[in-house]
Amino acid sequence: MTGPAATTRLGGALTTADVARSTIVIVVVLLVQHTLLDLVVVDGAHPDLMLLLPVAAGYAAGPDRGAVFGFITGLVADLFLPTPFGLSALIGCLLGFATGTATRGLVRSSWWLPPVVAAVATAAGMGAYAILGAVLGDPAMLRTYLVPALVVGTPSAALFAVPLLRLVAWGVPEPGPGHGAPPGGGLR
Amino acid sequence: MPRRTRRARRARRGMTIGLLVLASIAIITVDYRGQAHGVISGAKRAAHDAFAPLQRGVDEVVRPVGSFLSGAVHGGDLESQNAKLRAEIGALQRQTLETQATRNALRALEQLDHLPWVGSIPTVTAQVTALGASDFAATVQLNKGTTSGVAVGMPVVGGAGLVGQVIEVWSSGSTVRLITDAGSSVGVRFGSGSDLALLQGSGLGRKLAVNLIAPGTSLHKGEILTTSGLQNAQYPADLPVAAVTSFSSTPSATQETVSARPLADLGVLQYVEVLQWQSSP
Repeated sequence: MTGPAATTRLGGALTTADVARSTIVIVVVLLVQHTLLDLVVVDGAHPDLMLLLPVAAGYAAGPDRGAVFGFITGLVADLFLPTPFGLSALIGCLLGFATGTATRGLVRSSWWLPPVVAAVATAAGMGAYAILGAVLGDPAMLRTYLVPALVVGTPSAALFAVPLLRLVAWGVPEPGPGHGAPPGGGLR
Repeated sequence: MPRRTRRARRARRGMTIGLLVLASIAIITVDYRGQAHGVISGAKRAAHDAFAPLQRGVDEVVRPVGSFLSGAVHGGDLESQNAKLRAEIGALQRQTLETQATRNALRALEQLDHLPWVGSIPTVTAQVTALGASDFAATVQLNKGTTSGVAVGMPVVGGAGLVGQVIEVWSSGSTVRLITDAGSSVGVRFGSGSDLALLQGSGLGRKLAVNLIAPGTSLHKGEILTTSGLQNAQYPADLPVAAVTSFSSTPSATQETVSARPLADLGVLQYVEVLQWQSSP
């Protein structure tokens, strides 16, 4: 990643190498989600890594990149979902931003912090997703599907938090010094 | 860090999230109002088409792992299914001793194979390749799409009855909303054929709610509900959909409380038939 293309600046912030790595992360997670995790269904719900991606990005790279990465991840997820288009993008950017903001000042030496952050943020994201879905005319998202989604999604988010954070810390590097997350996204 | 720099950074951050939220709301609004339906469904089709070969390739490699995980999650279910299957095998072995019984069983299978209630509607046989991609909808994916003549709105049936309706389609696959999805509703007929009701989903694995049945209407457990086929109906007439499992009524109720179970076993779908039938405008 040292060639001229790899160091091209996009908007003064991201290099093309950063963009390439982020794209690889999204494609890999999308593949794992739709080939492996979609088979693990409990009461109609399954682990949702696409919702966990913005959380991991916010945690690893701070609120700005968390929001942008969450928006893009959400749009990609929406392409494969039957729910309203744009809903995952909205939840993704809010989750990335909120996670980055909430965890910016935290000391990240505790091993339990990433799983707890992942579980809480995923639960909040699913709740917001269901509420907005209900507002957009599908009350069943709140009434019928939210509880199974929470029961399956929250513990699985805690389970996948650390490996996904490592992947995202590689794919979505934190901005320069002073932008929030410590080097390596606070991961040991 | 100088205060001005910090303030500028905070303002930039606020602007970033503000713009992203506005963009998301704009996309949701455009989709909701159907103004860019063609663009969005085109983008979805393109994404599915681009992703499908990659997904198939990875699927070949990781499916055993997924099946293992799925098996681990559903261990209890598998045990009871195994017990049920062993009992069925025993019954079948007894049947093979009687040639006549075997012939009858074969005839029954042939009848199932030909789905007599489909009539003259052309069909496309498809394999269920994936369960729902969303936690917030009961859907399945099929391996047949536009190249096989599948289109949005077409009904999908299993061996025993209605399964759902195609809601998204791309060149090599399609997504079917199951009748158990909470957003699904099917107009049905029962009894002598003049009684009408509305069947509504309550989520995958849950019973269906049968609405709009007046109190005191004659019903019995196991009664078969078939599609009504009324004008502008989403399904052709007389497709078997569900069987009544319970009904009750209270004196002040404006309708009977009726529940039903789908005739097609939606939990173990493997092959289905897509009916090449479109609702008349």
